[in-house]
Amino acid sequence: MEVNDHTIIRMVLAGDKDAYGMLVARHSQNVFRAAFRITGDEADADEVVQEAFLRGFRRLQSFESRSEFGTWIYRIAVNCALNMVNKRKHEAICHIGEETDPVMRQVQVADTAAGPERTLLSREIESLQAAAMASLTATERTAFILRHMEDRSTTEIATALEIAPNAAKQAVFRAVQKLRRSLAPLRVNP
Amino acid sequence: MKHISEEQLIDYYYGEAESPAAISRHLETCSECAQSYESLVHDLKDLKPYAVPPRDGAYGEEVWRSIRGSVSAYEPTKKRSLRGWFGLHWSFAAATACLLLAAAFFAGRQWEHRNGTAPVNVANQEQGRQRVVLLVLGDHLDRSERLLVELKHAEPSTEAPLQAEARDLLSANRLYRESIRQQGDPALASALDHLERVLIEVSNEPAGLSQAKLDELQKEMNTDGLLFEVRVLRSRVQEDVNRKGSTAVAGKGVSIL
Repeated sequence: MEVNDHTIIRMVLAGDKDAYGMLVARHSQNVFRAAFRITGDEADADEVVQEAFLRGFRRLQSFESRSEFGTWIYRIAVNCALNMVNKRKHEAICHIGEETDPVMRQVQVADTAAGPERTLLSREIESLQAAAMASLTATERTAFILRHMEDRSTTEIATALEIAPNAAKQAVFRAVQKLRRSLAPLRVNP
Repeated sequence: MKHISEEQLIDYYYGEAESPAAISRHLETCSECAQSYESLVHDLKDLKPYAVPPRDGAYGEEVWRSIRGSVSAYEPTKKRSLRGWFGLHWSFAAATACLLLAAAFFAGRQWEHRNGTAPVNVANQEQGRQRVVLLVLGDHLDRSERLLVELKHAEPSTEAPLQAEARDLLSANRLYRESIRQQGDPALASALDHLERVLIEVSNEPAGLSQAKLDELQKEMNTDGLLFEVRVLRSRVQEDVNRKGSTAVAGKGVSIL
């Protein structure tokens, strides 16, 4: 029988450090997925996953038993990912003089199809989408990813980003408006 | 006819509209809004989620191995709760003692007034008052010393018995510091000032005392040095109490304690 998360947390707090490994194994895939979508970089996402679980362990005493560990650690991960994005942004500003290659700013996308089979159009769409996403602020981008790709509600987004629900909703609106404007050239005219 | 805004359409698309049925009805009858919505759906469907690089079943174990060395096991809860209970018990006992002391002092004064005692020896009365002040101050220093000792041996914790005790001592410490400063005892006033800064730091740490905070208190606030100062002052105050007590007895004054 599978031990539930709350039982594992009690074991960890009672001194069984290795029990936390079960929680990591159980939730790391979800956390990685969100981290990758927010950071857009595989190595950064791995770093975010480690940071999130490390913070989770250290704050485990403040975890309230009425909530779900999965939701809680997801929130921590979103926060870590957002910090990572801001950190990278700051580094990019510092190196702005060297930034001559626009490809460097593109988001990494997993190569699920064979390269030669990709059409020119799909490359153009991906490239435009990546550029449009890059034009959003970190909060807008994260709010949109959580809403559109992670299917999270406004309340969940607000909690994860530590902002008011109305601010979360506005961030999603702004993101959608900016993205639509950026992707307008792709619209096929009848 | 009032059209639906883009914001409302976005809410509707994500299933968070306040009245989805009304919007559905409107979209059936208003071709302009229906066209806007169709365009929105088309654009949003183009924005496909990024394909996430796969992580195999051993990924969680890898993550745990990478962070395992950076975390230390929690202490069993039983030990911690006993310690918390002990700390709380001490605070309660000390607070009760202070209260009894103050009540005895007040009752003594009232009794003295009501019975119209024989001609009052002003000097002896003053000595008695000073002795009470010194006794209470001695108790305060005693409690502060215990707190500093606990702080010295404290381990990181999110529980707050130390904070509660520090808050309790803080208000009393302010009064004593002010009173001592007026009496012109710079050494004692300076020590109480130092103690107050430490008490503020401890009591203002809402999420418990982390290792970093403990290190900061021990190094930057020099709690070890303060502990020594408090011990010296406590013995000095004790000597003053004994001296004032014997003088009061010799002068046949009213000794309250």
